[in-house]
Amino acid sequence: MSHVAFRPRGEDLEDTFDFVVVGSGAGGAAAASLLVRGGAKVAMVEAGAWRDPTDYPQTAFGGMRDLMDNFGAQVTMGRALWPVVQARVVGGTTVVNSAICVRTPGDLFAQWETEHGLHDLERPLLAAEDRLEQALTIEEVPAHARGRSNELAVVGEAALGWPHRHVMRRYAKHCEGQGFCLQGCRAAKKQSLNLTFAPEVAAGGTVLSCAPVEKVLLEGRRAVGVTGTFRHPTSHARGARFTLRATKAVLVAASVTHTPVLLMKSGVRLPALGHFFRSHPGTGVFGVYDEPIDLNVGATQGWASTAFRDQPGFKLEVLSIPPELVASRLSGGGTQLMQRLEDFRHLAMWVVAVRADSVGRVTKSLFGNPVVHYSLNHADMLKLRAGLKLLAQQHFAAGARKVLPSIAGLPYELTADQVDLFDQAPLDPRAYVAILSHLFGGAVMGRDEATSVVDHRGRVHGYQGLVVADASVIPTNLGVNPQHTIMGLAQVFAEALL
Amino acid sequence: MLWLLRRAIVILYPRASLPGAADCALDDFLRTFKRETPLSVWAGTVAGAVVFHLFPLFTVFVPLPAFLLPRRLADLHAARISVSSLYLVRQSIFLVKMCAGLCWAADPQVRARLALPPLIEDPRTWRTS
Ligand SMILES: Cc1cc2nc3c(=O)[nH]c(=O)nc-3n(C[C@H](O)[C@H](O)[C@H](O)COP(=O)(O)OP(=O)(O)OC[C@H]3O[C@@H](n4cnc5c(N)ncnc54)[C@H](O)[C@@H]3O)c2cc1C
Ligand code: SF4
Repeated sequence: MSHVAFRPRGEDLEDTFDFVVVGSGAGGAAAASLLVRGGAKVAMVEAGAWRDPTDYPQTAFGGMRDLMDNFGAQVTMGRALWPVVQARVVGGTTVVNSAICVRTPGDLFAQWETEHGLHDLERPLLAAEDRLEQALTIEEVPAHARGRSNELAVVGEAALGWPHRHVMRRYAKHCEGQGFCLQGCRAAKKQSLNLTFAPEVAAGGTVLSCAPVEKVLLEGRRAVGVTGTFRHPTSHARGARFTLRATKAVLVAASVTHTPVLLMKSGVRLPALGHFFRSHPGTGVFGVYDEPIDLNVGATQGWASTAFRDQPGFKLEVLSIPPELVASRLSGGGTQLMQRLEDFRHLAMWVVAVRADSVGRVTKSLFGNPVVHYSLNHADMLKLRAGLKLLAQQHFAAGARKVLPSIAGLPYELTADQVDLFDQAPLDPRAYVAILSHLFGGAVMGRDEATSVVDHRGRVHGYQGLVVADASVIPTNLGVNPQHTIMGLAQVFAEALL
Repeated sequence: MLWLLRRAIVILYPRASLPGAADCALDDFLRTFKRETPLSVWAGTVAGAVVFHLFPLFTVFVPLPAFLLPRRLADLHAARISVSSLYLVRQSIFLVKMCAGLCWAADPQVRARLALPPLIEDPRTWRTS
């Protein structure tokens, strides 16, 4: 097994591989594992450290420090400062996500074909998703692991008669419902890619961790390798330099924010690079119930509805956030806040993730870091508000005593007869405490070099041996959780390279 | 700066029927927070504390910094500034509350009151080979 972690200065590393994969998240690890299985000599290079379940911090502070990219403090530059959340660790964001597995919705293939000229993706992508479901265990959230918040969401959904009801499927094996998915599953039930594909890559190839790539090496218009400097995971001290040559291709899978910036820093010049950033911005409504809910007991996310994906255009989910974040999420301060926190055991949080049409852009700051320019337009704000109202109605249908809308300009709490007040909530994004966790674009697929960066196999237009294999290639919003599509696309791209 | 931030947190999370921030290991946490967060997060949080202390004139109409306010007024200031109609003020206070929440809800006494199991200490380890 070959894993190279942080190396101090003076112990520089140089080596040659068939393929070098930058990033070990959903896209990178899925692509690298397929290349290894195909017999190629592969290096997978990851900026963050490799942490196993016994290494995961339990505190939310530790999770932000040890697992998240820049402490989770990247925010959108737009009308509102909404966090753009991603991980920086071997396994990427799969380590801190909820492992919800949804196949690519069929309507997207027609949209990709007509709007972006992308042919020949449906069959290979769905075949890759079949294989992924075999390789990574997928289970329905077990009844004993659902917890009260998820159970009540089912009650509310049934009472309101919403269509397309289904039990959520996740990449998990015997989930115990410990509700720690967002800080890494210490029970090792969640099949994040640091536990699955990354060991496979290390067994058949090489994994470098604590190794942020600074540049893709280009000779003319051919990618020939990568270079960077090891970074210590706690002191952040710079260590040795590494230079990895790739005889066949470099695959960049450093995430929607880092991939475009890495390509820019490497000298790739394409008009669409960094453009067409999209996301599923999300925010939630707390329901307050008479009975104790204990939202941190049960699967972090164990219920979702896709009934509203097409119209109005959002997904609804249960989400259990750590109590450390609930403590700041409830509005107010002083004695008033402490009184509100007394409701903690009775809170259930359900969230809306908008299938937003708004488009943003990723640029490079003066220091070489990603900057995300993004604001929701009026139509998307209407969707967000409509989703929150629906969640409030679902809470009341499930028996909530009141709901906490968390919207500036609305009262702190609303009762069932006040639910129409949601229609008067401001449509200014600054009134909402939302986050962006599903990101797309920045190096989108398409046929036209003027409006896209890569083709339907992830190959960067006009360059040889340079492939993008992560969420940045996705040209539209999916309207569902993206990990399955990202892994599937990455494997389709990798297969085309063998 | 640590002192300013500490005062803001103690006013925002006072002891009530639940333990307050002052009942937690706040000083140790703030030192760790300063050392282990990116400079931008630390600077933003401190800026939030400065805003908190400078704003009583606009919330409770008293020309004193928050740390000099009597308890009742400080409490009212905390309630009002956290829902300020000025977005940047609200966001600044949110950063202070986030820092406070990370300490407060990880505290074993608080967790016991919220029917949550105590947390084990963060291992701070990773694969080295
Ligand atoms: C809280 C949360 C919950 C989510 N829940 C779900 C869910 O339940 N289901 C679902 O389908 N999706 C979910 N998602 C989204 C999903 O996890 C992401 O869309 C997906 O992981 C993105 O894959 P990626 O390969 O593009 O990027 P990532 O998985 O983020 O991987 C990118 C990797 O590249 C590394 N990297 C960055 N720069 C460099 C560099 N210069 N050199 C080397 N390495 C670098 C990063 O450290 C990171 O490890 C969730 C996301 C979040 C934040
Ligand atoms: S809910 Fe708990 S046991 Fe289940 S996968 Fe998440 S952290 Fe693991």
